[in-house]
Amino acid sequence: MEGVTDNIQLILPFKAEYVSVARLAASGIGSRIGFDIEAIEDIKVAISEVCNKLVSIGSSVSDCYKIVYSVSGKCLKVTYLCDDPSIKCVFRNESDALAVHIINALMDEVELCTDKHILSMSKVLERDA
Amino acid sequence: MADELNFLEEKTDDFVKVTLSGEVDIYTSQELKENLYRVVETNKKDLIIDCKELNYIDSTGLGIFVGALKKAKQYEKKITITNLKDNIKKLFIITGLDKIFEVE
Repeated sequence: MEGVTDNIQLILPFKAEYVSVARLAASGIGSRIGFDIEAIEDIKVAISEVCNKLVSIGSSVSDCYKIVYSVSGKCLKVTYLCDDPSIKCVFRNESDALAVHIINALMDEVELCTDKHILSMSKVLERDA
Repeated sequence: MADELNFLEEKTDDFVKVTLSGEVDIYTSQELKENLYRVVETNKKDLIIDCKELNYIDSTGLGIFVGALKKAKQYEKKITITNLKDNIKKLFIITGLDKIFEVE
């Protein structure tokens, strides 16, 4: 239904073995929206790039981070949150350039480093489902 | 297992062929790094990486490919990557790695 946003929340520990769970959730939700396989693969890679960074830096305050998959019509928005206020701008080193480049190339909109979240990115279904 | 990585190594007189299957992500990347670097350093031959059964890779895996290529070049050897699936070939194009590796 247009105008209604469904939020699916996933809370993951800062552990590499659970990054695939974030991809799996993206597959199911992306498929539900009607994204084709190529778009779903794009979303999976973008989601993993952020998870990889979060897992690699970890947190001394929080055991986990949250991913919110927001489905609104033909749009999927993925938002990363963490209770640790020190984790905001995670992509700020030169070594992060490749991951940021990939995320920007694969998603339609990317919002880094805001007061509300670590990162938010969205992709819109292009064709009429 | 969805996040399993399999690494098959075949040696010939002229080159070594590595067949990857499964997924390369942050969890499996260390295994890939250890195996791939070992193959490059111990054989010192041209390397073919067959990706026909590789379903997923992200920047952690791509970084390991680049690291392996740097090592291969130290021995004046090359790395050829074959049978990339469309989703992975797209990543190679986005990152420009299609111009650094020989991709078939």
